[in-house]
Formats: sequence, C-alpha cells, structure tokens
Amino acid sequence: MNKITKTLLISLFIVGTLFSWGPAGVSGRLLRGTWAWPTYIDPAVGSDFSSSIALIHLYDPLIYPDREMNPQPHVAKSWEVSADGKTWTFYLRPGIKFHNGSELTAQDIKFSMDRLTTIGEGYAFLFAERVTNTEASDKYTVVFHLKEPFAPFLGALYRFFIVNKDLVMANIKRPGPYGEMGNYGKQYLLTHDAGSGPYMVKKFAFEEYLLMTKNQNYWQPEYAQVNPFAPDEVKMYGTTEPITVRTMMARRELEFSDTWQSEEAFEALDKIKGVDITQYSTGNEWYLMLHTRKAPTDCIHFRKAIAWALDYKTLTKFFPDCPQARGPVPQTLPGADPTLLQYHRDLDKAMTELKQSKYYEQLEKYSLEFHWNGDVPVTEKVALLFMSNMADIGINVKIVKTPWLSIVEESARMHTSPNIAIINDAPQYPEAGSLLESRYKSDSAPTWEQNEWLLDPEYDTMVDDALKTIDQKERFAKYSKIQHDIMDLCPSIFMVELLMKHAYQATYMDGPAFRGEATPFMGYDLDSRFIKVYPEKQAELLK
Amino acid sequence: METIKFIVKRLAYSILVLVGLSVLMFSIARVIPGNPARMALGPRAPEWTVQKLREEMHLEDPLYIQYYYWLKGALHGDLGMSLVTRRSVAYDIKEFFPASLELALYTGIFMGIVGIVLGVISGWHNNTWIDNSVRIVSYIGIITPSFVFAIFFVLIFGYILQVLPTMGRIPLSVTPPPRITGMITFDALITGNFALFFGTLKHLLLPAISLAMGPMSQEARITRTTLAGNMSKDYVAAERSCGLPERTIMFKYLLKPSLIPTISIYALDFAAMGNAFVVELIFNWPGLSRYGMNAMLRKDLNATVAVVMVYGILFMVVNIIVDLVVGFLDPRIRLGTKSRE
Repeated sequence: MNKITKTLLISLFIVGTLFSWGPAGVSGRLLRGTWAWPTYIDPAVGSDFSSSIALIHLYDPLIYPDREMNPQPHVAKSWEVSADGKTWTFYLRPGIKFHNGSELTAQDIKFSMDRLTTIGEGYAFLFAERVTNTEASDKYTVVFHLKEPFAPFLGALYRFFIVNKDLVMANIKRPGPYGEMGNYGKQYLLTHDAGSGPYMVKKFAFEEYLLMTKNQNYWQPEYAQVNPFAPDEVKMYGTTEPITVRTMMARRELEFSDTWQSEEAFEALDKIKGVDITQYSTGNEWYLMLHTRKAPTDCIHFRKAIAWALDYKTLTKFFPDCPQARGPVPQTLPGADPTLLQYHRDLDKAMTELKQSKYYEQLEKYSLEFHWNGDVPVTEKVALLFMSNMADIGINVKIVKTPWLSIVEESARMHTSPNIAIINDAPQYPEAGSLLESRYKSDSAPTWEQNEWLLDPEYDTMVDDALKTIDQKERFAKYSKIQHDIMDLCPSIFMVELLMKHAYQATYMDGPAFRGEATPFMGYDLDSRFIKVYPEKQAELLK
Repeated sequence: METIKFIVKRLAYSILVLVGLSVLMFSIARVIPGNPARMALGPRAPEWTVQKLREEMHLEDPLYIQYYYWLKGALHGDLGMSLVTRRSVAYDIKEFFPASLELALYTGIFMGIVGIVLGVISGWHNNTWIDNSVRIVSYIGIITPSFVFAIFFVLIFGYILQVLPTMGRIPLSVTPPPRITGMITFDALITGNFALFFGTLKHLLLPAISLAMGPMSQEARITRTTLAGNMSKDYVAAERSCGLPERTIMFKYLLKPSLIPTISIYALDFAAMGNAFVVELIFNWPGLSRYGMNAMLRKDLNATVAVVMVYGILFMVVNIIVDLVVGFLDPRIRLGTKSRE
C-alpha cells in the first residue's frame, strides 16, 4: 500500500471517528411538525396558520370551542349577554396563573383587548370596529361593550388571547408608535410569551424553529385538559420543503407534516412505514370569483352559463377526497344551508343560459381573462380545465399566471381586477356569517378576498342584520336566505371544500386530528394538549 | 505604499459602486407592484393601521425623500424595520449573516481544497483516464444547479442511508453555545465544546458540499487547464532538462502561477454565496440568503435593500482581497510590468 493510500485511509478513519462524536440524542415526549413561516407569537400580531397554532399553545382564550364549535368555559367560567346584544359579561375563574406565576385577572383581559385593538394587526379586525370599551368591573369580571350587537361575538373570542399585563408593561420600550404605551411590548413578544397556556416558549430561533415546553403548573380547564401523554416539548419547524419533510418523517425526526405538501408528496409520505395521512375540514373553500362589473361576467346569464359548463367531477380530482362545494359556505360551518343548488356539468343548461346573455352574439369579441396564482401550482390545472370546458360552449378564455403579490395589487382596483380570479378562503369565526361577510360585503371588495365587486348596499344590510340577530335559529335562517340570494346571483363558482391534510407518525402518536376528529377551526385543530405521543413505541420503530 | 494606494483607490471606487447599487435596489424594490404595508398587515387590517404603517415607512413621500430617510438611517446603522420579522433589519442581519458566513466559509474551504487538488491531479495526469474522469465530473458539477445536488444528497445521505442530518444548524436536543461570533462551530471551539463542534460540522456537511460542487468543478477545470498549459512552457522544459524532479517542478514552479486564474474565480464564487437561498431553504438553514429571498417575495423593502447591500459589500471586499493575493502570487502584476509573451 503506497504512502498516499495509507494517508487517505488513516484520514478517513479519523474523520469517521470524529464525526461519530456528537451530543446525545432526543429523549422524552417530543412533538415536531413543519409549518410555513413566519410565525408571530404575539396575540396582537399573528393570524396565519402557524401563528394560530402557536397562540393556542402559549395563551388561553376566554372560552374554548368544542368539536361542534360550541363554546366551553375556559378562563371564563360563565358569561351572559344583555338583551340588546351590546354588553357581554364574563365571569373569570380565580387562581389561573400566568407562566411567571402571577394571577390572571380582569385587568389582564382589559389590557389584552385594548392592546389588540390599538395595535390593529392580527385578529384585531374582529374587534376593532365593534368593541367600544372593555371594563374590568371587578377582579374576576370583565365586560365588553359593543357598538352594535354582534351575535357571533363568542365565536370571535376564540381568536382573542390573554396576555400578562404586568409582564408586557415591564417590557415596553419608549418612545414608540403607541404614545404612552411606546411599542406596546411588541419587540418583547416577538420571541417571548406572556401567556398562561399549556406551553411556554423555550426557544424561538426566528426563521428556523419555535420550541415550546410544557407548562408544569397549567391550571387544567374541564374541557381542554392536557392529557397525561401530551408532548413535553413541541417544536414547529419553519420549512415545508418536500424532500426535507419526507426525509425527516422517514427518520422519525418529525411527527407530523404541514398541510402545504403536494398530492404527490403526500402519496410518497403515505408509503413510509408507520406514516399515515389524516384529513379534516376547517371550513376552507376554493372559489372562482367572477367580476360582476366587468364584461362579459357582468351578465348574470353569462355567469350561470359558466357555472353549468364547468366539469366539477374532474375539478374535484385535483383536490383528492375534497367534496364539491355547495354554495358560498362550506357545509361543515354552522349556518351553512344544505338545500342549496349544487351545480354540475350540463352543457344544454349552459347553452340555454348563454343564449339569454347579451354577449351571446359577440362571444369572439369578449374573451375571459382568468388569473391563476403562480405560487399555487394546482390553480394552473384549474385554469386549464376551465379554459377547455368553456371552449365547449364557445367562450374564449385567456389564462394568465399571476404572482400572489400582483393578485393582491390588482384586486385593489375594479378596473385592474380580472374577469376571474381563484382564491381559497377560511372563516375567521366559526359560522357562516364570517364568510358571507368577508367574501361579499362591500368593504372587502378592494381586497384579494373579493374579486366579484358586488358593492350591493342591500346585501350589506342583510348581512349586518343577520350578524346583529342574537337568536341563533333566527340568525341561521337569515344566513340561509342570504346564501340563496347569492346562489341566484351566481357571482362565484363554488369549487371544493378544502380538507386540511397532514402526514403523521401513526405508530407512536394519536389525537383527534389524526382520527379525522379535529376541532374544525384553524389552530385549534392541532392543539397538543389533546395529542398523545408514545416514545417507547417510537424507540421500537427506531431499532 | 503602492499597496496602500491601491487599496484606498479601490475602496473609493467601491463606495461609488455601492451608492449606485443602493439607489438601484431602493428604486426597484419600490417599483414592484404591491402595497408592502397591506401585505405585512394582511387584507383584513383596518385601513387606519395600514395608513399608519405607510406613514412610518415614509411610503407616501416622493422616492427621493424616501431614499434620503433611508440613507440617513443607514449611515447611523439604522436600516429600518423588517415587515416580515417585525424587528430592526440591522438586528436581523446580525442574527442571520453569521449563519450564511459560516456556511460560506466551510463551502469555501471545501471548494478551494478539493477543486485545486482535483485540478492538480487532472493536470498532472494530463490526457489520461484520470484526467478524463475528473473532467466529466467537473462538467456535471458545473451544469448541475446547487439545489439539485442538495436534494440528491438529502435523498442519499439523509433518506436512504440516514447517516447525516438534513436540517438546521445544530443537533435537535442541544442548546446552542453562548453567542460570540454567531458561527456555532467557532463558538463551540472557543467554549471548548468539541462534541457540539463535531455535531454542528455534521449539519454543515451536506449544505456546504451542495453549494461547493459547482464552484469546485469550475476551479478544478480552470486549474487543470492552466496547469496543462503551463506544463508545455519553455521554463518547465528547461527545469526538466536540468534534472529537477517532477514533484518539485509541479509544486514549486508550476502551481503558483497556475493558481492565479483559479483564485480570481474562487473569489467570485465565494462572494456569490448570496445565491444560496434555495439550498438554505432545503436544509432549513437560517441564513441571510433565505432571509433575503423571503424579504423579496413579501415585498419587505428595507430588508431587500439591506441584504443586497450586504452582499455588495462582501463582493467588494473579496475582490480587493483577491487583487492583493493575485499581486502577491504574480510579481508582474504587483510591479505593474507586462508579460513578455
């Protein structure tokens, strides 16, 4: 053996030995998942998927939704609403401790609401224009005064999380954009928590991961208790790279995947031994939004012709296992009307409608511009199918790949909005009114949530009236009427009800979400207090 | 004295270039469609919140006024606030730059050593099967993007063989060392935590090699070509006729002049580590490239300009260093004399 070969072998041996040296491996109940970034753990800032999950771990809301989306006592043990619907009083449970040991009182709730509505970010839109004043009438009683009755207020409160007033005040930096409140502790709450939730921030490496550790002194509510097999630590990784997710799932370094993986990625994940796929609804729906003030989609018959011409059977194949939508509100959302017409492909009906359109004789002059989201590959398939289907009835379609930034920009003005845009939307509080409000009311017209440009004062009045109706049965009846009116107007194509999908380690973990029984509300679906992790079974798999 | 004059002159030119770059990037970032304040706050944020943020960012002011505020802040070390991370851009750069620098350093070490060694081997065994093999590997390395290598390595070493980590900077259960440089391997060494040092090296291996493949192949090819070309020169023939051993000719007389083009390219490749964003994404590496890419996608104006400026400064510094090194290697350049050829 010559000198070079000997040197090489010895070097390889040394390198190999050194590389086998490293810190000890993982122990304990660990729950690791991947998620899209960024994540904001400040309750007055975060409102996306990953932020919502983090918030429910670190903080407590006043009330907690059960699987049927009914409010369960949580920080508030009971509540009442005044006859006029404008005053909501909550009676707090004494003895709840924040992570730093101080007690949660009505003052913290008042502070949290004032902070949220002053900062105006995150979920503030649910409260800023509605809550005129929050009052701590005694140590354990808080009163919200509303400008007008808002019947879904309880559902909206699922998005309201309580921060530790003293801790935030101690970390306020002045001067700041909020007057005497300086920066309102925003800098501090970027990477620290001021909550009372079942988990606490252990480490937040921005853009890399959020590591939360179990709060050993959690006060244990009746409904949302932390089960004894719940993870000791929860780690949210800020990546959705398919190859990374797949590798980590195979190596058992990840317990569940994000929902943004492609169908092909989920198929590959499903093939890994011990990994299964779960799916459930959180009220998301895909829509084709038809511009009702731009030719030729400004004609109701034209829009109905489109609705009858689309091949929904093929469309649903692009979203495996997701049911075709029936109307503007997913059927899983309370207040959805199950009697609405569900369109299907019928070219005869399509032609009947088209012939009644004022554009029928000039179809070659009016082509539809369909903007699909360049950041979401499945929307291209939808655009191509749409183009092909419309050709069957003589409608020309021009499909345009549009980056998300441009979609947001062009949706701000009526004349720049295209004939058709495609969107996926979710409710912000768990009932039909949320989507009826955010999708079609006039104030959402210049946003990406509405390309229809309905601008109908009568519709706005109907929705406002429904939202003020405290009696649920009566309110849902009004929702039903509004949904029927929407169907008659046909401003959108209701595509599919999207199911949240996750790959997970079925051999050593369990939880409602992984049995398809998740609370159907973003963030609450993956609350770790209900998840069970069995490290001994994981160890068996790793042998 | 000449060297100092040279450095001062280059610095002066570089500052002019950086100012031009800042104007260009500043303008481009603001011309791209989209309301950054609305994008940052979401579609449902009240209009008054959006307007407040726009005013804080001077977005209602003319472009030159906005640039003035930015420049004024930048000269005082304040690069504005990031709309994505919601904190100071200067803080973000301090946080993320060491991760990219650490990755770039190890990438640089790998591509420099392996590239030159392969080039020397290939050039020495000119027109043999060894030379041909290295050339084929080099071609593959040059034409294949780094993220393809990244995915390939993750599949082989992470998924199939499961011998190397594929995510993050440090092992899962480990607390990072006290932050001294921000580069975990260096901080681990400084604090004497050798287990962590080797554990972190393992995490660096795949992303560094992925990034190094292309530049390493290029350097191998350039070294090989220059070496092969210099081997046929008269002075080498003279050395052989004097009876000097091949090893001495190669390492004492041939290598130094043959490395000049390699070092120039090496510097450009090193400075171009700003393109590492896809690799950083695949390995969930919290580096500046990934931060910059997210900033661009989300129209984070301040962060976009700052990241480009950081890489511009890096490019400038590396180029000055390269010129100095090349001058050291080739006295003709240092003395300003022309080649006789």
